[in-house]
Amino acid sequence: MISEEEIRSIANLAYLKINDNEIEQLRSDFSSILEYMDKLNEIDTSKISGTSNLSKTENVDREDISKRFDKDLLIGSMPKQKNGYLEVKKVLYND
Amino acid sequence: MINLTIKQAQKGLQEKTFSAKELTESYLNQIKEKDKDINAYLSVCEKLAISQAEEIDKKISKGEPLSGIAGIPCAIKDNIMIKGEKCTAASKILENYTAIYDATVIQKLKEAGAVFLGKTNLDEFAMGGSCEKSAFFPTKNPHDLERVPGGSSGGSAAAVASDMAVYALGSDTGGSIRQPASFCGIVGMKPTYGAVSRYGLIAYASSLDQIGPMGKTVEDCETIFNVIKGSDKLDSTSTDFEINENKKEKLRIGVPKEYFGEGLDKEIEDSIKKAINYYQASEAEIIEINLPHTEYVVSCYYIIALAEASANLARFDGLKYGKDSKLENPQSINELYFENRTNNFGAEVRKRIMIGTYTLSSGYYDAYYKKALQVRTLIKQDFEKAFENVDIIVGPASPCLPFKTGEMNNDPLAMYLADIYTAPLNLAGLPGISVPCGKSKTGLPIGLQITAPSFCEKRLFDAAKIIEQKT
Repeated sequence: MISEEEIRSIANLAYLKINDNEIEQLRSDFSSILEYMDKLNEIDTSKISGTSNLSKTENVDREDISKRFDKDLLIGSMPKQKNGYLEVKKVLYND
Repeated sequence: MINLTIKQAQKGLQEKTFSAKELTESYLNQIKEKDKDINAYLSVCEKLAISQAEEIDKKISKGEPLSGIAGIPCAIKDNIMIKGEKCTAASKILENYTAIYDATVIQKLKEAGAVFLGKTNLDEFAMGGSCEKSAFFPTKNPHDLERVPGGSSGGSAAAVASDMAVYALGSDTGGSIRQPASFCGIVGMKPTYGAVSRYGLIAYASSLDQIGPMGKTVEDCETIFNVIKGSDKLDSTSTDFEINENKKEKLRIGVPKEYFGEGLDKEIEDSIKKAINYYQASEAEIIEINLPHTEYVVSCYYIIALAEASANLARFDGLKYGKDSKLENPQSINELYFENRTNNFGAEVRKRIMIGTYTLSSGYYDAYYKKALQVRTLIKQDFEKAFENVDIIVGPASPCLPFKTGEMNNDPLAMYLADIYTAPLNLAGLPGISVPCGKSKTGLPIGLQITAPSFCEKRLFDAAKIIEQKT
């Protein structure tokens, strides 16, 4: 079973916090899903190349003209604004 | 003005049996009446709908030429953007987000004169198969309110099935159009990868996502597909390529042996076999085929989908989108990100992001992600080989009937395994449709899934119409 330490380290990479009471459930869910995913090891794929792109097209070019959005709309869609800018919390490092 | 198809609604408008405004108001009333029980809509855009309908009525009175869908009200899944309307992807992190531009499919529908009634519920960020994982509320199946409508496009499916919209748009990453269509007894179609632009769709897994139509008839889905398809400079995977062929006189129909094994509900199996017999009786040739990598589909699909999801959802840091954090005096910018993401993503989304992060992380990339890409090649080849001998492939859309709300909560794998028949099409990029083919003894809908080679949508619609005429 995946360890608590591993769960915490993945959460950290994903910028997520884990509560202590979630750990056991996550360990068990993770383990059953990863174990199922391990099924792919039954297949020898040493001579198979991967498929990451199904697109028919390649090298799609377009003229480099920027698309303009309405600035007020853009800023207005953000959670908090001040004087036409995105407003965020004051962060003072305590190093 | 009850239970109209696109064609019937168009006829009513043309013959002035009703105006576009009357039609729209009648649908808005239906929503007011029915949606308190079904909860298909996250938001209703009454003002927009009425103004769009009035615009069409003006054009009708002037005798201007109109498209076949002008003035006809539809529902849009809430991960597709309509300028000026909220777009939440059923997530708290986008609860207050208003779209500042139209998705390409929305722009195309607008140009054709569509009327937008509102935005429909989904599993948060389209991650789920039951509509229970919406951050706001679950949607109910109109055929049985104790049961789920399927997902993730469950709101769109329930809206069409209960006649709270003439048709709807959904999105499909591993079955999210076809499975809810089968659960709600309507037609739902996932186009070939690249046939429809995804610009303005909130991304889940970019190598799998497609937008597609959901409607009461195959013809309605075909009409909408023809409006929204085509290349778009803003989605470089989109193309105008299509295969125009004459209607096949004698269809060769492949039935995969692997699709009728363990895990398939007996009533669904019987219903699908009846549909196959019906094809046989209508001069088609039935050929048993093999898709040998079927048992690896779900593993392969979830590795790829969740890896892509973990990357796509990295953009939601809670600063530019979403909710203002309540955190006082953050000690670092990361603390803000951690706080916002943890509080505003639901448990299923957080789990999926973490699994995707794990399979992409150093030391596991080769074992999981790279391996899955290789297996994806094999799954794709299975279909290519099968299509050398058959024109279409048929089978169930879902291994199970619509289940009760909450029934699947304790088994994280069981929900994932239900994607067994739908997800391979996304992995291979193929078009697929779910068309109603019968009902269980208790009256729950059953859907037949039909698959065709890439860009053979016409063949798919033709084959689906045969079954539709039977039922």
